Amino acid sequence: MVGARDLDASKMAALGSLLAGVIHDIGTPVGAILSNNQVVLRALDKLKDALAAPQPDVAAALKRLEILRSLAEVDRLACSRIGALVRSLKTFARADDVDASDADLNAELAETVRLVQAGFGKRIAIQTEFGEIPLVHCWVRRLHLVFLNLLVNAGQAIEGEGKIVIRTARDGDRVIISISDSGHGISPENQAKLFSTAFTTKPSGVGTGLGLMIVREVVADLHGGALRVESEMGKGTTFHVSLPLRQKSTE
Amino acid sequence: MNKNPTVVVVDDEDMVLTSVRAFLSLETEYEIQTFLEPERAVEFLRNNLAEVIVSDYLMPGMTGIQFLARARELQPEAPRVLLTGHADKQSAIEAINQVGLFHYLEKPWDNEQLLLIVNNAIERASLFRELKEKIAELSTANSSLKAVQARLLKAFL
Ligand SMILES: Nc1ncnc2c1ncn2[C@@H]1O[C@H](COP(=O)(O)OP(=O)(O)O)[C@@H](O)[C@H]1O
Ligand SMILES: [Mg+2]
Repeated sequence: MVGARDLDASKMAALGSLLAGVIHDIGTPVGAILSNNQVVLRALDKLKDALAAPQPDVAAALKRLEILRSLAEVDRLACSRIGALVRSLKTFARADDVDASDADLNAELAETVRLVQAGFGKRIAIQTEFGEIPLVHCWVRRLHLVFLNLLVNAGQAIEGEGKIVIRTARDGDRVIISISDSGHGISPENQAKLFSTAFTTKPSGVGTGLGLMIVREVVADLHGGALRVESEMGKGTTFHVSLPLRQKSTE
Repeated sequence: MNKNPTVVVVDDEDMVLTSVRAFLSLETEYEIQTFLEPERAVEFLRNNLAEVIVSDYLMPGMTGIQFLARARELQPEAPRVLLTGHADKQSAIEAINQVGLFHYLEKPWDNEQLLLIVNNAIERASLFRELKEKIAELSTANSSLKAVQARLLKAFL
Protein backbone atom coordinates (compact mmCIF):
# COMPACT_ATOMS: atom_id res chain seq x y z
CA MET A 1 0.00 0.00 0.00
CA VAL A 2 1.11 3.53 -0.72
CA GLY A 3 1.20 5.60 2.42
CA ALA A 4 0.17 9.23 2.76
CA ARG A 5 3.83 10.19 2.96
CA ASP A 6 4.63 8.67 -0.43
CA LEU A 7 1.56 10.31 -1.88
CA ASP A 8 2.75 13.66 -0.64
CA ALA A 9 6.35 13.10 -1.68
CA SER A 10 5.43 12.20 -5.25
CA LYS A 11 2.96 15.06 -5.46
CA MET A 12 5.50 17.59 -4.26
CA ALA A 13 8.17 16.23 -6.61
CA ALA A 14 5.83 16.44 -9.60
CA LEU A 15 4.53 19.90 -8.68
CA GLY A 16 8.05 21.07 -7.88
CA SER A 17 9.22 20.25 -11.38
CA LEU A 18 6.52 22.56 -12.72
CA LEU A 19 7.15 25.40 -10.33
CA ALA A 20 9.50 27.59 -12.36
CA GLY A 21 7.15 27.59 -15.32
CA VAL A 22 4.09 28.25 -13.18
CA ILE A 23 5.80 31.18 -11.50
CA HIS A 24 6.71 32.57 -14.90
CA ASP A 25 3.12 32.21 -16.06
CA ILE A 26 1.82 34.06 -13.04
CA GLY A 27 4.55 36.68 -13.37
CA THR A 28 3.56 37.74 -16.86
CA PRO A 29 -0.03 38.77 -16.06
CA VAL A 30 1.00 40.28 -12.73
CA GLY A 31 3.62 42.34 -14.56
CA ALA A 32 1.02 43.45 -17.09
CA ILE A 33 -1.42 44.53 -14.38
CA LEU A 34 1.25 46.47 -12.50
CA SER A 35 2.44 48.20 -15.63
CA ASN A 36 -1.11 48.98 -16.69
CA ASN A 37 -1.90 50.52 -13.35
CA GLN A 38 0.79 53.18 -13.87
CA VAL A 39 -0.42 53.80 -17.38
CA VAL A 40 -4.05 54.12 -16.29
CA LEU A 41 -3.11 56.87 -13.85
CA ARG A 42 -1.13 58.71 -16.53
CA ALA A 43 -3.96 58.30 -19.02
CA LEU A 44 -6.46 59.71 -16.52
CA ASP A 45 -4.24 62.75 -15.94
CA LYS A 46 -3.97 63.33 -19.67
CA LEU A 47 -7.69 62.80 -20.12
CA LYS A 48 -8.33 65.46 -17.52
CA ASP A 49 -5.90 67.83 -19.25
CA ALA A 50 -7.67 67.30 -22.55
CA LEU A 51 -11.09 67.98 -21.07
CA ALA A 52 -10.18 70.78 -18.68
CA ALA A 53 -8.47 72.90 -21.34
CA PRO A 54 -10.30 76.12 -22.32
CA GLN A 55 -10.79 74.49 -25.73
CA PRO A 56 -11.46 70.84 -24.77
CA ASP A 57 -9.60 68.49 -27.13
CA VAL A 58 -12.22 65.86 -27.86
CA ALA A 59 -10.03 63.86 -30.23
CA ALA A 60 -7.26 63.57 -27.65
CA ALA A 61 -9.77 62.65 -24.96
CA LEU A 62 -11.26 59.91 -27.12
CA LYS A 63 -7.81 58.52 -27.90
CA ARG A 64 -7.09 58.28 -24.17
CA LEU A 65 -10.43 56.62 -23.51
CA GLU A 66 -9.56 54.07 -26.14
CA ILE A 67 -6.26 53.38 -24.39
CA LEU A 68 -8.01 53.03 -21.03
CA ARG A 69 -10.44 50.55 -22.52
CA SER A 70 -7.65 48.40 -23.97
CA LEU A 71 -5.91 48.38 -20.59
CA ALA A 72 -9.07 47.27 -18.82
CA GLU A 73 -9.35 44.45 -21.34
CA VAL A 74 -5.77 43.32 -20.65
CA ASP A 75 -6.34 43.45 -16.91
CA ARG A 76 -9.43 41.29 -17.22
CA LEU A 77 -7.48 38.75 -19.26
CA ALA A 78 -4.55 38.86 -16.87
CA CYS A 79 -6.80 38.27 -13.83
CA SER A 80 -8.55 35.36 -15.44
CA ARG A 81 -5.21 33.80 -16.36
CA ILE A 82 -3.99 34.06 -12.79
CA GLY A 83 -7.31 32.83 -11.45
CA ALA A 84 -7.26 29.78 -13.70
CA LEU A 85 -3.75 28.82 -12.64
CA VAL A 86 -4.58 29.24 -8.98
CA ARG A 87 -7.66 27.05 -9.48
CA SER A 88 -5.58 24.28 -11.03
CA LEU A 89 -3.07 24.53 -8.20
CA LYS A 90 -5.91 24.26 -5.71
CA THR A 91 -6.93 20.85 -7.03
CA PHE A 92 -3.65 19.60 -5.61
CA ALA A 93 -3.90 21.30 -2.25
CA ARG A 94 -5.58 18.19 -0.84
CA ALA A 95 -5.30 14.83 -2.50
CA ASP A 96 -7.57 12.82 -0.24
CA ASP A 97 -11.20 12.55 -1.22
CA VAL A 98 -12.94 10.24 1.17
CA ASP A 99 -15.97 9.52 -0.98
CA ALA A 100 -16.13 8.79 -4.65
CA SER A 101 -18.26 11.17 -6.72
CA ASP A 102 -19.34 11.65 -10.30
CA ALA A 103 -16.76 13.58 -12.28
CA ASP A 104 -16.38 14.93 -15.80
CA LEU A 105 -12.90 13.61 -16.49
CA ASN A 106 -12.43 15.75 -19.60
CA ALA A 107 -12.87 18.85 -17.46
CA GLU A 108 -10.64 17.48 -14.72
CA LEU A 109 -7.93 16.62 -17.23
CA ALA A 110 -8.14 20.10 -18.70
CA GLU A 111 -7.51 21.52 -15.24
CA THR A 112 -4.34 19.47 -14.82
CA VAL A 113 -3.25 20.24 -18.37
CA ARG A 114 -3.41 23.97 -17.67
CA LEU A 115 -0.98 23.61 -14.80
CA VAL A 116 1.34 21.24 -16.61
CA GLN A 117 1.37 23.45 -19.71
CA ALA A 118 2.35 26.42 -17.58
CA GLY A 119 5.07 24.30 -16.03
CA PHE A 120 6.57 23.14 -19.31
CA GLY A 121 6.16 26.47 -21.05
CA LYS A 122 6.64 26.68 -24.77
CA ARG A 123 9.00 23.73 -24.91
CA ILE A 124 6.13 21.28 -25.11
CA ALA A 125 2.86 21.49 -27.00
CA ILE A 126 0.02 19.68 -25.26
CA GLN A 127 -2.81 18.64 -27.52
CA THR A 128 -6.13 17.32 -26.22
CA GLU A 129 -8.44 15.10 -28.22
CA PHE A 130 -11.31 14.59 -25.81
CA GLY A 131 -14.04 12.21 -26.84
CA GLU A 132 -17.57 12.22 -25.50
CA ILE A 133 -17.43 10.36 -22.23
CA PRO A 134 -20.02 9.95 -19.50
CA LEU A 135 -19.47 11.01 -15.90
CA VAL A 136 -17.19 8.62 -14.07
CA HIS A 137 -17.77 7.64 -10.46
CA CYS A 138 -14.31 8.09 -8.98
CA TRP A 139 -11.98 9.57 -6.39
CA VAL A 140 -11.25 12.60 -8.47
CA ARG A 141 -8.46 14.14 -6.40
CA ARG A 142 -6.56 10.88 -6.58
CA LEU A 143 -7.06 10.84 -10.32
CA HIS A 144 -5.60 14.33 -10.56
CA LEU A 145 -2.42 12.85 -9.09
CA VAL A 146 -2.48 10.13 -11.74
CA PHE A 147 -2.83 12.67 -14.56
CA LEU A 148 -0.19 14.89 -12.99
CA ASN A 149 2.35 12.09 -12.65
CA LEU A 150 1.78 10.75 -16.15
CA LEU A 151 2.01 14.20 -17.69
CA VAL A 152 5.12 15.19 -15.78
CA ASN A 153 6.78 11.91 -16.75
CA ALA A 154 5.83 12.55 -20.37
CA GLY A 155 7.32 16.05 -20.27
CA GLN A 156 10.48 14.85 -18.55
CA ALA A 157 10.97 12.19 -21.23
CA ILE A 158 11.12 14.89 -23.90
CA GLU A 159 14.45 16.55 -24.48
CA GLY A 160 14.11 19.95 -26.06
CA GLU A 161 10.87 20.54 -27.90
CA GLY A 162 8.14 17.96 -28.24
CA LYS A 163 4.52 17.09 -28.04
CA ILE A 164 2.08 15.39 -25.69
CA VAL A 165 -1.32 14.18 -26.89
CA ILE A 166 -4.12 13.33 -24.47
CA ARG A 167 -7.08 11.33 -25.71
CA THR A 168 -10.23 10.21 -23.95
CA ALA A 169 -12.80 7.75 -25.23
CA ARG A 170 -15.60 5.54 -24.00
CA ASP A 171 -15.14 1.80 -24.26
CA GLY A 172 -18.32 0.08 -23.13
CA ASP A 173 -18.62 0.45 -19.36
CA ARG A 174 -15.16 2.00 -19.14
CA VAL A 175 -13.38 5.17 -20.17
CA ILE A 176 -9.90 5.12 -21.63
CA ILE A 177 -7.49 7.96 -21.09
CA SER A 178 -4.34 7.85 -23.21
CA ILE A 179 -1.33 10.06 -22.75
CA SER A 180 1.25 9.95 -25.55
CA ASP A 181 4.57 11.71 -25.63
CA SER A 182 7.26 12.19 -28.26
CA GLY A 183 9.94 11.43 -25.67
CA HIS A 184 12.88 9.04 -25.54
CA GLY A 185 10.81 5.94 -24.85
CA ILE A 186 11.26 3.11 -22.34
CA SER A 187 13.37 0.03 -22.99
CA PRO A 188 11.55 -3.33 -22.76
CA GLU A 189 13.76 -4.15 -19.81
CA ASN A 190 12.68 -1.02 -17.94
CA GLN A 191 9.04 -1.44 -18.91
CA ALA A 192 8.97 -4.53 -16.72
CA LYS A 193 10.12 -2.54 -13.71
CA LEU A 194 8.04 0.60 -14.21
CA PHE A 195 5.47 0.11 -11.52
CA SER A 196 7.72 -1.29 -8.86
CA THR A 197 8.61 0.70 -5.79
CA ALA A 198 11.19 3.45 -6.17
CA PHE A 199 12.23 2.54 -9.72
CA THR A 200 13.64 5.63 -11.34
CA THR A 201 16.13 6.43 -14.07
CA LYS A 202 16.23 10.10 -13.15
CA PRO A 203 18.90 11.77 -11.04
CA SER A 204 18.09 12.16 -7.36
CA GLY A 205 16.33 15.44 -6.78
CA VAL A 206 14.37 14.92 -10.00
CA GLY A 207 13.11 11.35 -9.72
CA THR A 208 11.59 9.63 -6.70
CA GLY A 209 10.35 6.51 -8.43
CA LEU A 210 7.06 6.94 -6.57
CA GLY A 211 4.99 8.37 -9.40
CA LEU A 212 4.00 5.26 -11.30
CA MET A 213 3.66 3.29 -8.09
CA ILE A 214 0.96 5.73 -7.04
CA VAL A 215 -0.56 5.68 -10.51
CA ARG A 216 -0.91 1.90 -10.29
CA GLU A 217 -2.24 2.06 -6.75
CA VAL A 218 -4.90 4.64 -7.61
CA VAL A 219 -5.93 3.19 -10.98
CA ALA A 220 -5.79 -0.54 -10.27
CA ASP A 221 -6.19 -0.98 -6.52
CA LEU A 222 -8.53 1.90 -5.73
CA HIS A 223 -10.64 2.11 -8.90
CA GLY A 224 -10.35 -1.43 -10.25
CA GLY A 225 -9.01 -0.02 -13.50
CA ALA A 226 -6.12 -1.09 -15.68
CA LEU A 227 -2.89 0.34 -17.06
CA ARG A 228 -1.10 -0.40 -20.28
CA VAL A 229 2.16 0.97 -21.67
CA GLU A 230 3.30 1.15 -25.26
CA SER A 231 6.72 2.47 -25.99
CA GLU A 232 9.27 2.64 -28.73
CA MET A 233 12.80 3.77 -28.02
CA GLY A 234 13.52 7.12 -29.59
CA LYS A 235 9.91 7.55 -30.71
CA GLY A 236 7.80 7.97 -27.62
CA THR A 237 5.52 6.40 -25.06
CA THR A 238 1.80 6.03 -24.50
CA PHE A 239 0.19 5.24 -21.18
CA HIS A 240 -3.39 3.97 -21.40
CA VAL A 241 -5.52 4.28 -18.28
CA SER A 242 -8.79 2.38 -18.29
CA LEU A 243 -11.36 3.17 -15.61
CA PRO A 244 -14.75 1.60 -14.88
CA LEU A 245 -17.66 4.05 -15.05
CA ARG A 246 -19.12 2.76 -11.78
CA GLN A 247 -17.64 1.67 -8.50
CA LYS A 248 -19.33 -1.48 -7.18
CA SER A 249 -18.14 -1.13 -3.61
CA THR A 250 -19.51 2.35 -2.99
CA GLU A 251 -22.96 2.11 -4.49
CA MET B 1 11.63 61.61 -44.02
CA ASN B 2 9.00 63.31 -41.92
CA LYS B 3 6.80 60.47 -40.80
CA ASN B 4 6.64 59.51 -37.14
CA PRO B 5 9.26 56.98 -36.07
CA THR B 6 8.11 53.38 -36.15
CA VAL B 7 8.51 51.06 -33.16
CA VAL B 8 8.20 47.34 -33.87
CA VAL B 9 7.25 45.16 -30.87
CA VAL B 10 7.15 41.35 -31.03
CA ASP B 11 5.84 39.14 -28.22
CA ASP B 12 3.74 36.00 -28.25
CA GLU B 13 1.68 37.39 -25.35
CA ASP B 14 -1.18 39.58 -26.46
CA MET B 15 -1.20 41.05 -22.97
CA VAL B 16 2.33 42.37 -23.31
CA LEU B 17 1.69 43.82 -26.75
CA THR B 18 -1.44 45.67 -25.66
CA SER B 19 0.28 47.03 -22.57
CA VAL B 20 3.30 48.30 -24.47
CA ARG B 21 1.15 49.75 -27.22
CA ALA B 22 -1.08 51.55 -24.72
CA PHE B 23 1.87 53.00 -22.85
CA LEU B 24 3.86 54.13 -25.87
CA SER B 25 0.88 55.61 -27.68
CA LEU B 26 -0.03 57.54 -24.55
CA GLU B 27 3.45 58.97 -24.05
CA THR B 28 4.67 59.38 -27.63
CA GLU B 29 3.59 60.04 -31.20
CA TYR B 30 5.46 57.00 -32.50
CA GLU B 31 3.80 54.56 -34.78
CA ILE B 32 3.57 51.28 -32.86
CA GLN B 33 3.54 48.06 -34.86
CA THR B 34 2.91 44.95 -32.76
CA PHE B 35 3.27 41.32 -33.82
CA LEU B 36 2.36 38.07 -32.10
CA GLU B 37 4.45 36.09 -34.58
CA PRO B 38 8.07 36.90 -35.36
CA GLU B 39 7.57 35.72 -38.97
CA ARG B 40 5.02 38.49 -39.46
CA ALA B 41 7.40 41.07 -38.12
CA VAL B 42 10.11 39.87 -40.50
CA GLU B 43 7.66 40.35 -43.35
CA PHE B 44 6.87 43.85 -42.13
CA LEU B 45 10.56 44.74 -41.87
CA ARG B 46 11.14 43.56 -45.41
CA ASN B 47 8.80 46.26 -46.70
CA ASN B 48 8.82 49.02 -44.08
CA LEU B 49 11.39 51.06 -42.26
CA ALA B 50 11.54 50.79 -38.49
CA GLU B 51 13.48 52.97 -36.05
CA VAL B 52 13.61 50.45 -33.20
CA ILE B 53 12.79 46.77 -32.84
CA VAL B 54 11.74 45.29 -29.49
CA SER B 55 11.40 41.53 -29.13
CA ASP B 56 10.48 38.95 -26.53
CA TYR B 57 13.03 36.17 -26.03
CA LEU B 58 11.06 32.92 -25.77
CA MET B 59 8.53 32.53 -28.56
CA PRO B 60 7.32 29.44 -30.38
CA GLY B 61 8.79 29.00 -33.83
CA MET B 62 11.63 31.49 -33.53
CA THR B 63 13.51 32.81 -30.51
CA GLY B 64 13.95 36.52 -29.99
CA ILE B 65 17.62 36.11 -30.84
CA GLN B 66 16.87 34.42 -34.15
CA PHE B 67 14.30 37.07 -34.95
CA LEU B 68 16.62 39.94 -34.11
CA ALA B 69 19.33 38.37 -36.25
CA ARG B 70 16.91 38.47 -39.19
CA ALA B 71 15.94 42.01 -38.31
CA ARG B 72 19.59 42.98 -38.29
CA GLU B 73 20.08 41.62 -41.79
CA LEU B 74 17.06 43.53 -43.06
CA GLN B 75 17.61 46.81 -41.23
CA PRO B 76 21.04 46.94 -39.63
CA GLU B 77 20.64 50.55 -38.50
CA ALA B 78 17.48 49.94 -36.42
CA PRO B 79 18.60 49.27 -32.82
CA ARG B 80 17.44 45.98 -31.33
CA VAL B 81 16.04 45.56 -27.82
CA LEU B 82 15.43 42.20 -26.16
CA LEU B 83 12.77 41.58 -23.49
CA THR B 84 13.61 38.60 -21.31
CA GLY B 85 12.29 36.73 -18.34
CA HIS B 86 14.65 36.57 -15.41
CA ALA B 87 15.42 32.90 -16.05
CA ASP B 88 16.59 33.63 -19.59
CA LYS B 89 18.96 36.38 -18.56
CA GLN B 90 22.12 34.34 -19.10
CA SER B 91 21.20 33.29 -22.63
CA ALA B 92 20.23 36.86 -23.35
CA ILE B 93 23.61 38.15 -22.24
CA GLU B 94 25.35 35.56 -24.38
CA ALA B 95 23.28 36.73 -27.32
CA ILE B 96 24.16 40.38 -27.00
CA ASN B 97 27.16 40.06 -29.30
CA GLN B 98 25.44 37.63 -31.61
CA VAL B 99 22.86 40.17 -32.77
CA GLY B 100 24.50 43.42 -31.75
CA LEU B 101 21.90 44.14 -29.11
CA PHE B 102 21.30 47.79 -28.22
CA HIS B 103 19.75 46.92 -24.86
CA TYR B 104 17.94 44.24 -23.00
CA LEU B 105 15.11 44.66 -20.53
CA GLU B 106 14.09 42.18 -17.91
CA LYS B 107 10.42 41.34 -17.50
CA PRO B 108 8.47 42.71 -15.73
CA TRP B 109 9.89 45.82 -17.31
CA ASP B 110 9.71 49.35 -16.02
CA ASN B 111 7.73 51.57 -18.38
CA GLU B 112 9.90 54.63 -17.80
CA GLN B 113 12.98 52.64 -18.63
CA LEU B 114 11.35 51.21 -21.73
CA LEU B 115 10.53 54.72 -22.89
CA LEU B 116 14.07 55.90 -22.27
CA ILE B 117 15.54 53.01 -24.22
CA VAL B 118 13.09 53.45 -27.08
CA ASN B 119 13.79 57.19 -27.28
CA ASN B 120 17.55 56.64 -27.30
CA ALA B 121 17.24 53.92 -29.88
CA ILE B 122 15.19 56.12 -32.17
CA GLU B 123 17.65 58.94 -31.88
CA ARG B 124 20.44 56.58 -32.73
CA ALA B 125 18.60 55.13 -35.71
CA SER B 126 17.93 58.57 -37.17
CA LEU B 127 21.55 59.59 -36.61
CA PHE B 128 22.68 56.45 -38.39
CA ARG B 129 20.35 57.03 -41.30
CA GLU B 130 21.34 60.67 -41.55
CA LEU B 131 24.96 59.63 -41.55
CA LYS B 132 24.26 57.10 -44.26
CA GLU B 133 22.56 59.78 -46.36
CA LYS B 134 25.46 62.15 -45.86
CA ILE B 135 27.93 59.47 -46.86
CA ALA B 136 25.85 58.73 -49.93
CA GLU B 137 25.76 62.45 -50.74
CA LEU B 138 29.49 62.65 -50.22
CA SER B 139 30.14 59.78 -52.56
CA THR B 140 27.89 61.31 -55.24
CA ALA B 141 29.71 64.59 -54.73
CA ASN B 142 32.95 62.70 -54.91
CA SER B 143 32.11 60.98 -58.16
CA SER B 144 30.90 64.20 -59.78
CA LEU B 145 34.13 65.82 -58.61
CA LYS B 146 36.01 62.98 -60.22
CA ALA B 147 34.09 63.53 -63.44
CA VAL B 148 34.94 67.22 -63.37
CA GLN B 149 38.52 66.37 -62.68
CA ALA B 150 38.58 63.96 -65.60
CA ARG B 151 37.08 66.61 -67.89
CA LEU B 152 39.59 69.17 -66.65
CA LEU B 153 42.44 66.85 -67.29
CA LYS B 154 41.14 66.11 -70.77
CA ALA B 155 40.73 69.79 -71.50
CA PHE B 156 44.20 70.73 -70.41
CA LEU B 157 46.26 67.80 -71.50
N1 LIG C 1 6.54 8.78 -20.44
C1 LIG C 1 7.71 8.20 -20.10
N2 LIG C 1 8.70 8.14 -21.01
C2 LIG C 1 9.89 7.55 -20.69
N3 LIG C 1 10.16 7.02 -19.50
C3 LIG C 1 9.21 7.04 -18.56
C4 LIG C 1 7.94 7.64 -18.80
N4 LIG C 1 7.19 7.52 -17.69
C5 LIG C 1 7.97 6.88 -16.78
N5 LIG C 1 9.18 6.60 -17.29
C6 LIG C 1 10.28 5.88 -16.63
O1 LIG C 1 9.76 5.29 -15.48
C7 LIG C 1 10.50 5.70 -14.34
C8 LIG C 1 9.61 5.73 -13.13
O2 LIG C 1 8.66 6.77 -13.21
P1 LIG C 1 8.02 7.34 -11.89
O3 LIG C 1 7.51 6.20 -11.08
O4 LIG C 1 7.06 8.39 -12.24
O5 LIG C 1 9.24 7.92 -11.09
P2 LIG C 1 10.14 9.19 -11.43
O6 LIG C 1 9.41 10.01 -12.44
O7 LIG C 1 10.27 9.89 -10.13
O8 LIG C 1 11.42 8.65 -11.94
C9 LIG C 1 11.11 7.01 -14.73
O9 LIG C 1 12.28 7.29 -14.01
C10 LIG C 1 11.38 6.81 -16.20
O10 LIG C 1 12.57 6.11 -16.40
MG1 LIG D 1 7.37 10.57 -12.26
